[in-house]
Amino acid sequence: MLVTLPYEMPELVTRAPFDLHRSTVLPDWVDWNGHMNVAFYVRAFDQASGAFMRNMGLGRNYVDNKLGMTFVLETHVTYDREMKGGAPMRFTTQLLDRDAKRVHLFHEMHHAEQDYLAATNEVIVMNIDYATRRSAPWPMQAAERLEAIWTEHRMLPPPAKAGRVMGLGKKKSQ
Amino acid sequence: MIEPDLGAPLDIHRATVLPEWIDWNGHMNVGFYVVAFDKATDTLCNQFGVGWEYTRDKIGMTFVLEAHVTYDREVKEGDPLRITTQLLDHDAKRIHYIHAMYHAVEGYLAATNELMLMNIDYESRRSAPWPAWAAERIEKMAASHASLPRPAQAGRIIGIKRKS
Repeated sequence: MLVTLPYEMPELVTRAPFDLHRSTVLPDWVDWNGHMNVAFYVRAFDQASGAFMRNMGLGRNYVDNKLGMTFVLETHVTYDREMKGGAPMRFTTQLLDRDAKRVHLFHEMHHAEQDYLAATNEVIVMNIDYATRRSAPWPMQAAERLEAIWTEHRMLPPPAKAGRVMGLGKKKSQ
Repeated sequence: MIEPDLGAPLDIHRATVLPEWIDWNGHMNVGFYVVAFDKATDTLCNQFGVGWEYTRDKIGMTFVLEAHVTYDREVKEGDPLRITTQLLDHDAKRIHYIHAMYHAVEGYLAATNELMLMNIDYESRRSAPWPAWAAERIEKMAASHASLPRPAQAGRIIGIKRKS
């Protein structure tokens, strides 16, 4: 296991939920329906996952130093409301669970001015060793930061939209 | 309108991993798996007569309500993709289906994408029943897909599974 990371750590944010990532809907994210395309919600959420990983100490430096990477294993998105080109986005992230090599995150995307919930994204991210391209435990320094984050986040109630199973949920006929 | 393909699963969508879909990890980025899957949804909608022309002619649109993706294996720039689609369920205004993405040459499963898609009235931008031509085609495809086994990746709950 990597013990120390050979670059400067950002200031650790433990406040729950994590509420730092901001972004804007780019013009080329808009599709023929005149709103942000489904795939680019995932792109935008992936950047929010990136912000969470940076807070753990695993940002771009982690990859550029050929130490490791983080891969998404699974993701679940609810599309709650449309977003148009240029719309400002605010993301909050709740850590739902973690183990030696994975985190389970829940993101919410809000319209940053009108404040409505636009979408949610539940995601599992795994640590990957750079050389073997296989899963590996978090570097010790990142694991310590993760535990400090978890201490705060575990106090939050579970989000209503976490753990969903997809289905038509038909009403029973009389 | 094209005659629907009733092969089960639907197995007509092909694509290639574009250079701009690659991220700093040297593989297709998670967002672009969904770009690729969304184009397979366009192929599906086209089967039902609710594709690009449906929106261009200001009749209606289709909106995704919910999506679940399993990332099973990496794909790299230039890799050929084969995407199959299985209809799981449907009602008067929605379809529930799952795509499977394979490396078209090596054959391995790269990812799956389960989706809920709803028909939208162009004018009101609110949900509306499928137009008759689409409902008829959805019924036909559902009948042909009814005998397929349910994929293990459908209906999953996200979580960190611990060995006991």
